[in-house]
Amino acid sequence: MDCLKIADREFSSRLFIGTGKYASSEVMRAAIEASGTEMVTVALRRVDIENPEDDLLAAIDREKYLLLPNTSGARDAEEAVRLARLARAASGIAWVKLEVTPDPYYLLPDGVETLKATEVLVADGFVVLPYINADPVLAKRLQDAGAATVMPLASPIGSNQGLRTRAAIEIIIEQAGVPVVVDAGLGLPSHAAEAMEMGADAVLVNTAIAVAGEPVRMAGAFKAAVEAGRGAWLARPGAVRRRGEASSPLTGFLRE
Amino acid sequence: MAVSSVLKINGLEREFPSEGVPETLLDLLNALGICHSTVVAEVNGRIIERQNFVNTRLEGGESIELVRFVGGG
Repeated sequence: MDCLKIADREFSSRLFIGTGKYASSEVMRAAIEASGTEMVTVALRRVDIENPEDDLLAAIDREKYLLLPNTSGARDAEEAVRLARLARAASGIAWVKLEVTPDPYYLLPDGVETLKATEVLVADGFVVLPYINADPVLAKRLQDAGAATVMPLASPIGSNQGLRTRAAIEIIIEQAGVPVVVDAGLGLPSHAAEAMEMGADAVLVNTAIAVAGEPVRMAGAFKAAVEAGRGAWLARPGAVRRRGEASSPLTGFLRE
Repeated sequence: MAVSSVLKINGLEREFPSEGVPETLLDLLNALGICHSTVVAEVNGRIIERQNFVNTRLEGGESIELVRFVGGG
């Protein structure tokens, strides 16, 4: 069985799903189901005092899906740690997708603050999955600090641009001693398959599924792509060559 | 006896002029119509576990954050 192990949990699906941007809870629930995922990310926000009925958790079966709260909105380590601790109190589990994104335009993560927050949260008993730019050196530093995975971005969050950071992610995968989860910017199933073919351990997808014309169908397409890409990686692809190499025998031709 | 009739809830001041501030955090959530099983609170920067809502007394003047999970990536 080809299982992914993160901290003390095993996952048979290598596709993690974000829950933002869905048109309705019903569509989100159906897309999560169709994706085959076992872990979904959520964010933490102030309760709307004027409309307190809105409850995301009611739509997510917590027996089937591990909740992975994120620290989105945090601009520095201190805010991220505060959000992580609130999320732990809300979810009852100490897993956190750590994201520190002070820049509101590209939403790129701050590696320095992310490392600081990782150190604090690991010491506090958290399973930390940090979202980072595709920086192999930072990935190693986070791993040494006790991060359970590293989650390099493919391209800016929600941009659907695909694997713009391919060369750096290849190095991260080559050097990593923890699972590498490619997160952010994967816009098509082919992007997810490409990441998996490169040897990524998993991918995290939100926008590409949530904003598709048919999110449930797109969730199924991503599931198939992740499985295909993983299968290709396990099958060990043949070498890339510059010249042509005949697939048919070069003997027994019908000629003089 | 409440020392103030105002609570700062999620950044906004709210007055409880006639009846005074609710006695506990749980009373406050009930007064606001918020289902407490999905909410986490901070009172003056300190996280209050859900099971402690009932015994967290409010005096007035506290800054309270009420948060819950929403969709996110």
